[in-house]
Amino acid sequence: MSTVNMTVQIGSLKMRNPVTTGSGTFGFGSETKDLVPLDRLGAVTVKATTRERRLGNPPQRIVETASGILNAIGLQNGGIDDYLANKAPYLRGFDCPIIVNVPGENPNDFAYVVERLTAAGAADAVELNLSCPNVSHGLDYATDPQLAASVVAAVRKVTSMPVIAKLSPNVTDIRVIAKACEDAGADALSMINTVVGTAIDPRKRKFRLANITGGLSGPAVKPIALLAVWRCYNTVKIPIIGMGGIACPLDAIEFMLAGATAVACGTGNFVDPTLSLEVIDGIEKYCVENGFADVNALIGAVTAA
Amino acid sequence: MINFLHGMQTYELFRFVGIRIYFGVIKKEAAQVVSVTPLSAPRHFVLTMKSAHLASHSRPGHFIAVAADTGSAILRKPFSVYTVNPDAGEISILFSVYGPTTTAMSRMLPGDSIDVLGPLGGRIFDPEPIKGIHHILVGGGYGVPPLNYLAKTIRASAPDAMVTVIIGARTANLLVGDDDLLDAGVEVIYCTDDGSAGVHGRVTDALLPLLKSDSRVYTCGPTPMMKAVGELSEAHGVDCQVSLETFMPCGVGICVGCVVKMRDGVFSRTCTDGPVYPGCEVAW
Ligand SMILES: Cc1cc2nc3c(=O)[nH]c(=O)nc-3n(C[C@H](O)[C@H](O)[C@H](O)COP(=O)(O)OP(=O)(O)OC[C@H]3O[C@@H](n4cnc5c(N)ncnc54)[C@H](O)[C@@H]3O)c2cc1C
Ligand SMILES: Cc1cc2nc3c(=O)[nH]c(=O)nc-3n(C[C@H](O)[C@H](O)[C@H](O)COP(=O)(O)O)c2cc1C
Ligand code: FES
Repeated sequence: MSTVNMTVQIGSLKMRNPVTTGSGTFGFGSETKDLVPLDRLGAVTVKATTRERRLGNPPQRIVETASGILNAIGLQNGGIDDYLANKAPYLRGFDCPIIVNVPGENPNDFAYVVERLTAAGAADAVELNLSCPNVSHGLDYATDPQLAASVVAAVRKVTSMPVIAKLSPNVTDIRVIAKACEDAGADALSMINTVVGTAIDPRKRKFRLANITGGLSGPAVKPIALLAVWRCYNTVKIPIIGMGGIACPLDAIEFMLAGATAVACGTGNFVDPTLSLEVIDGIEKYCVENGFADVNALIGAVTAA
Repeated sequence: MINFLHGMQTYELFRFVGIRIYFGVIKKEAAQVVSVTPLSAPRHFVLTMKSAHLASHSRPGHFIAVAADTGSAILRKPFSVYTVNPDAGEISILFSVYGPTTTAMSRMLPGDSIDVLGPLGGRIFDPEPIKGIHHILVGGGYGVPPLNYLAKTIRASAPDAMVTVIIGARTANLLVGDDDLLDAGVEVIYCTDDGSAGVHGRVTDALLPLLKSDSRVYTCGPTPMMKAVGELSEAHGVDCQVSLETFMPCGVGICVGCVVKMRDGVFSRTCTDGPVYPGCEVAW
């Protein structure tokens, strides 16, 4: 038995360790049941759940690029009715907090889904996907402080669950959006969502993604994500869930040192679905080896070179 | 049919249209490489590995995902199970050198460890041999290995089953995966685009004269080939099972990046909802 305190707090949400999954990179938790016992995770963050069912974008949806992937899934999901009927009951079979990722085309959409989740007790926190670049209008809320705040405020009114605002790196200064979300009542921030980009097949002279644009993720985006976390950590008081390119425990430690209270494994799950378990064990081992009795001591502990 | 075999840790949920839902328990392991053998076709190899788990849980249509040290290419790459030897606790895959993963695999030595995840796949081939049925397996490219496994499985479970494998390639020296089929009593028909071996023409040219009401077709290979085989079979009222090998970033159902459009308009994940589908479900 280790003596390290691994529990962290995201608003009123208590996590048994600082590790969750990146929305859209871990399905709804049941897909990898042979490999990842959910009750070991700090929390499970499930795929985006929208008001109506969405078919998603046509293929090709994902391509591999240097040290990462570009995706344009287009939020394929069964909608809130399907989540409540078919996904939540499975997830509730585990002793693991559920964070549901909620996108929307307007503040009412966000509020509607969050209200349904709240009424059904089918989530322990909601993560507002202000920044899904793969659907039309999806980006707007994450690039404008007032729009972002309007969504947070609309959701704040309908739930007492912790509200996490997920931020996009595709902005000039992420701190402005972070502050606007905090002021509008967000309990936490998560960052980063994917970085917009594209890829071209020079032999066929065609875009490689049917959607043309996609979101870059994986190790390629880690430096961008770390800086976003560090900057926001120094700007807001609410906790941050850091993600972007985590592929091993030390990557996660970097995020905590930059100011993240918790971390999410995303694209790394595609390479190794058990990554989050490895990261949990690795963080604990790092604390033991470096004399930290409490994982919270890592948060923001980076110093100048 | 619901048949939970917890003792064996495999579970068959139900079967329909001749296609099985059969998830093996997925395991990630560092398997030991037994051998990497070059084939006569240029840049083609068979890699055999020790894995009691994969050897006892794999069925025709299942695949595994390999992670190799490939620098900036981060994803695992899928490979169909080619042969299974439950007694020795070994399985093999047949591959051609394409990019970083297959290059790394071609250089592995006996005793090296290979990082594999599997068996993967939800709907797989249903090899249950019905008496009097003529099983026609049509493959090309990396669709040949799973069909080879399927053909041998059918013959092993029903020695009197009629099995024909049609293998297509651009040219003779790219034809792979056939010797053991002849030994297993399977009829093999080659087709080459340039006529350098077997039938001069496409696999559908060889398939057409064989299609009868008692045929059942299974196909795996390049999409245009599967589409042609699927449509030809459908036009003759013959059941056709297609194994769709799309780009599969995760292989376990969590990325939703491997989808193919179905006739009902839905995008289906080939890794877990497939890879095997009734040809008539696919919107080609
Ligand atoms: C279910 C399934 C089973 C498979 N079984 C086998 C098998 O038994 N034997 C075998 O040799 N291969 C098989 N493949 C294909 C194999 O997984 C890919 O060729 C793989 O990408 C090779 O990895 P790599 O790192 O060597 O090359 P990569 O870097 O992935 O590929 C090198 C180049 O080839 C291109 N490329 C890769 N895959 C494809 C494709 N599917 N179509 C067109 N271009 C492509 C890439 O764009 C890249 O430019 C299977 C694929 C699937 C989905
Ligand atoms: C295939 C894929 C699907 C994703 N879907 C969502 C989503 O539905 N909602 C969301 O907020 N973020 C989504 N993301 C973004 C991730 O949750 C994460 O923020 C991002 O990928 C950066 O982390 P990573 O580099 O570890 O993947 C998705 C990412 C990928 C790769
Ligand atoms: S390969 Fe990821 S869902 Fe199919």
